Amino acid sequence: MAASGAGVPMRREVLQLYRSLLRVARQFCDYNIREYSKRRTMDAFRDNKNLRDPSQLSAAFSHGKAQLEVAKRQSLLYSLYAPKVKSIMDF
Amino acid sequence: MASKLLRQTLTKTYTTAVIRRFSTVAAVASPSEYEDPTGITMKGVKISGRPLYLDMQATTPVDPRVLDSMLPFYLSRYGNPHSRTHLYGWESETAVETARAQVAALIGASPKEIVFTSGATESNNISIKGVMHFYKDKKRHVITTQTEHKCVLDSCRHLQQEGFEVTYLPVGSDGLIDLDRLRKEIRPDTGLISVMAVNNEIGVVQPVEEIGKICKEFNVPFHTDAAQALGKIKVDVEKWNVSLMSLSGHKIYGPKGVGALYMRRRPRIRVEPQMNGGGQERGIRSGTVPTPLVVGMGAACELAMKEMEYDEKRIKGLQERLLNGIREKIDGVVVNGSMDRRYVGNLNLSFAYVEGESLLMGLKEVAVSSGSACTSASLEPSYVLRALGVDEDMAHTSIRFGIGRFTTEEEIDRAVELTVKQVEKLREMSPLYEMVKEGIDIKQIQWAQH
Repeated sequence: MAASGAGVPMRREVLQLYRSLLRVARQFCDYNIREYSKRRTMDAFRDNKNLRDPSQLSAAFSHGKAQLEVAKRQSLLYSLYAPKVKSIMDF
Repeated sequence: MASKLLRQTLTKTYTTAVIRRFSTVAAVASPSEYEDPTGITMKGVKISGRPLYLDMQATTPVDPRVLDSMLPFYLSRYGNPHSRTHLYGWESETAVETARAQVAALIGASPKEIVFTSGATESNNISIKGVMHFYKDKKRHVITTQTEHKCVLDSCRHLQQEGFEVTYLPVGSDGLIDLDRLRKEIRPDTGLISVMAVNNEIGVVQPVEEIGKICKEFNVPFHTDAAQALGKIKVDVEKWNVSLMSLSGHKIYGPKGVGALYMRRRPRIRVEPQMNGGGQERGIRSGTVPTPLVVGMGAACELAMKEMEYDEKRIKGLQERLLNGIREKIDGVVVNGSMDRRYVGNLNLSFAYVEGESLLMGLKEVAVSSGSACTSASLEPSYVLRALGVDEDMAHTSIRFGIGRFTTEEEIDRAVELTVKQVEKLREMSPLYEMVKEGIDIKQIQWAQH
């Protein structure tokens, strides 16, 4: 029994994780990272939509939660060192 | 009066002693001299924002997930991995060994076969000069190609000055080497064959599996520079039968300043070390292993393994979008290098009847590289394009678009729009283009001397 910690997530939790990831992704001040985070989140959740096996579900959910922590830290870090001028794609 | 003076002095000291929340020590080096809220002015050019980045072959941005894995080793876990006596050293060493395993997993090797270096250039130097110096009594000949990276060509030139013989194999107009020609050039005293897997300028993928088979047949060590190939195409040291492989960290969304060298153990290949010292990295490369950089490279490799399929599918779509977008609007666009055997993220285009330097000057809002600039400071056209047999005028107008994990569709569309606009503007002004449109063949013109 793998000690992933999360257990099998409920639908509500998965949706909460999805929304949190997208919210943090939107906050990145770097254009490329922002777009990548949004896109990757949507594609990853879409690809895992049909998972039914409990161990796969809990592994994917823990992976998602870990990525959320990474994204939160990095979003803060990128904003601390943001260049004065934005990317040309942001205009 | 005295109290007024006292109040003035107190308020003066208060305003000048504003405490900044974050230290501005690093800000002294920050580029505030050329950045202001209205835009960036540098080298006489003013643009309204940071350019969109399409130069992934030069370097790639560090993936935030990679940066996240590196930071603890700059903050609290700063030990030297070779310190054997305390926790700092032990945790650093564990991290280095984990990273080694991650790099090995991506190329299908064993962790014992990976040596960390300062980059692919150093790995290439160790491979070429190290192998030939080790076997210098029996083996005096090296085979390489004309389109290799500068560090490989320069190492070979250094060997030539020492008295070794080097054969530079020519390439066809599609950038691929001729396998029969390679077979013919192998001699009994050939000590090394070095062919890069993916070319950094034109993106062509050499037939490494077939070359590996030939090397096995003749029992010659095979070195490949896989800096551009790692994490982008499937790399397998067993299938390719390589003895030595150079890897680079900053081409796979990892940090700059780190690379690796794969050295086969069965059959064992020996090299003479280029860096002497305390015997780190099995004596091949002495010097403290930079834990944060190595951890970053390991994380980047692990990420590349997971994301390779997703990235490749996406980048292929973007490449088609770029090429079709440009070809729809303008003609006279030539792709340099084979279209079939190509890494999808590299597109090297030449625009006919357009002058190269002026094209680049007009494309300041897109960060791209030209075929000539990255090889030399002079205006000499790139040796890679010359080896392909591209005409001088076409070689000058070549542009290399590098697409990567973080490139978006909007960036591609903007790049297409800007390129097409600039090319059309230049062609409008070009008298040569007018003559071509009238049907005159430029090559037949007899230019009169005045």
